[in-house]
Amino acid sequence: MHLQYIDYAVILVYFLFVIGVGFLLKKRIKTGNDFLMSNRSIPLWITSLAFISANLGAQEVLGMAASGSKYGFYTAHYYWLGAVIAMVFLGVFMMPFYYGSKARSVPEYLKLRFDEKTRTFNALSFAVMTVFSSGISLYALAMLMQTILGWDFSLSVWMAAGIVLIYTFLGGLTSAVYNEVLQFFLIVLGIAPLVFIGMHKAGGWEGIVHNVDNIKLHLWRGMDSAAHNPMGVDGLSLVFGLGFVLAFGYWCTDFLVVQRAMISHNLNAAQRTPVIAAFPKIFMPLIVILPGIIILALQKQFTGYELPVNAEGAVDYNMTLPVMLSKLYPSGILGVGITALIASFMSGMAGNVTAFNTVWTFDIYQSHINRNASEKHYYYVGKATTVIGILISIATAYFARRFNNIMDLLQLVFSFVNAPLFATFFLGMFWKRTTSHAAFWGLISGTAAAALTHGLTVAEGKGGWIANIHTFYSGTSQAFNIAWIAFSVCFIMTALISLITKPKPKEQLVGLVYSLTPRQKDKARVWYKNPLWLSVIVLLITLIFNIIFF
Amino acid sequence: MNKLFDLRFVIGCFFLIIGILLILHGFISSESDQTVNRWCGAFFSLFGLVMLLLSYRSTTNGPNE
Repeated sequence: MHLQYIDYAVILVYFLFVIGVGFLLKKRIKTGNDFLMSNRSIPLWITSLAFISANLGAQEVLGMAASGSKYGFYTAHYYWLGAVIAMVFLGVFMMPFYYGSKARSVPEYLKLRFDEKTRTFNALSFAVMTVFSSGISLYALAMLMQTILGWDFSLSVWMAAGIVLIYTFLGGLTSAVYNEVLQFFLIVLGIAPLVFIGMHKAGGWEGIVHNVDNIKLHLWRGMDSAAHNPMGVDGLSLVFGLGFVLAFGYWCTDFLVVQRAMISHNLNAAQRTPVIAAFPKIFMPLIVILPGIIILALQKQFTGYELPVNAEGAVDYNMTLPVMLSKLYPSGILGVGITALIASFMSGMAGNVTAFNTVWTFDIYQSHINRNASEKHYYYVGKATTVIGILISIATAYFARRFNNIMDLLQLVFSFVNAPLFATFFLGMFWKRTTSHAAFWGLISGTAAAALTHGLTVAEGKGGWIANIHTFYSGTSQAFNIAWIAFSVCFIMTALISLITKPKPKEQLVGLVYSLTPRQKDKARVWYKNPLWLSVIVLLITLIFNIIFF
Repeated sequence: MNKLFDLRFVIGCFFLIIGILLILHGFISSESDQTVNRWCGAFFSLFGLVMLLLSYRSTTNGPNE
C-alpha cells in the first residue's frame, strides 16, 4: 500500500491535534488530583464517549474485524452478551458504591471494603495487566505500519509511544480522555465509509447472505456443542464464561473503564456514563465486525481480497481491516482510515497508561512508599510513572509478537486477573459477611486456578506448559473456560473462608455493602436522566438484535 | 480547573480541516474514482461545522450537558 501526500497530511493533522490538546491542558493541570483524576469535573457526554473509547483500542478494531472474519457474527457476542448487560449493571448497581465511597480507584475501594493487602494484590495485578494491554496496542500499531507502510517495527513502536507520552505527560487523564473522544469520532467516521463501500461492492446484505457460509451469519445457532459453530465454544461456556464472568469482570471491575465514570461531576452522571456508553456499544459491531464478514463475501466474488499467511503458515486474520482499506479506499480517505487505526491504538494505549499511573501513584506509592507527601509531589510521581509505564509497554510490545490472534491473548490475560476479581466484588458488595482475609485468599486462589488451568490445557498450540489433560476447540473456548473456573474457585474459597473468619463491624461497611447502604431515591423525573429507564431501553434494543441475528 | 476548554471546538476544527482537505483532493487529484473523497469530505465538513455551532451556542448560552 502506497500512501500519497494527502494521506500523510491527514496523519500529520491528527498528530498535531492530539499533541495540541496536551499543550492546551498543560497549564490547567497543577495537582496530582488534576493529573490523575481530572478533579472529577468532566461532563457526561465526554465521560460516556471516553468510557467506550478507552476500550476501543487497536486490539478491538483490528481484533474484532479479525474475529469477524474468523468466527462470523458470533463475534457480536463480545458486545451484545459480553458488554452491554455488564455496563448496565455497573451503572445501576455498582457505581453508587464506587462513587459514593469517594474511592479514587478500584483498588482503593477494596481497601475500604476489605483491607490493605487485598488492595495491594489487586493494584499490582492491575498494573501488570494495563502495561501488558498497552504493549499489545503498541505491537498492533507497529505491525500495521510495518505491513502496510513498510516502516521498521522498532521505529514505529518508539515513534508512536513518544506521541502518546507527550500528550499524556502534559495533560494527564484529562488529555487522555479528551483525545479518546476525538479518537472515537475518528474511528467511527473513518471506518463507516469502508463498511458502506464494502457492502455495496459485495452486493448488499443479499450478496453477503449468498456468499458467506450461513453458519457465520448467526449468533446462537450451533451453540449446543463447541464442534457445531465456528467459534468452537459451547453455549454454557459462552453465557457463563463470556456473558457473566468475563463481561462483568472486565466492565464492572477494570479500573481502565470504571475510571472514566468515576471522574464524572456527580453520582447521577457517574451512573449514566456506562449506560449511555452502552448505546453506541450496541452498534459498534456494524463498524468493527461487519468488515470481517464483508471480506468473506468479497473473497468469493473477486480476487485480491485473500488474507496473507503469517510466519506460522496460518491465515493472518489480523490483516482483515488493512486489506479492506487498501482495496476499497482511494488516497485521501485512505489516510483517514489509516489515521483511524492509529487513533484506535493511541486510545487503547493512553487509557491503559493513565489507569496505570493512577493506580501506581495512589495505591502503591502513596500507600506503601510515601504516605503524607504534598499534592505537588504526587503530581510529579504521576508524571514519572507515565514515562515508566510507556517504557514498560514498549518492552511488552516485543513479547506480544509471539501471538497471532490478539483478542484471544487479551481474553486470556483478563481471565487471569478480572474473572476472580468479579467474584470478590460480587461477594463484597452484596454479602456483608465477606471478610478481608477471605477476599485476599479468594483472589489468590482464583488467579492460581486460572494459571493452573492454562498450564494443563491446550488450544491452538498454546497453553499446556505443565501437562496436556484437555484440548479445546479454540483459544476463545479455552479463555472462557479459564474465566469461569477462576471465578468459581475464587467465589467458593471466599465464601468458605468468610464463614470461619471474623467480618468487619457493620458500621464500617455503610456505603460499601448493598444491604447496609440506604437506598437513594432517584429524583430524576425525566426518563433520559434516569439510569434505570435508560437501562431498560438499552436492554430492549440488545434483545431485539439478538432475535434478529439469532 | 473548573472550566476546561470546549472539546467540541477542537473536534469541530479537526473534522472541518480534514473535510476540506478531502474535498480539495477530490477535485484536484488526477486519480479516478474520487467520489468517495468528495462525499466523505462534505460529510466531515458538515459534522465539523455542527460541532463548532454546538461549541458556539455553549459559549453564548452557558455550558450544558
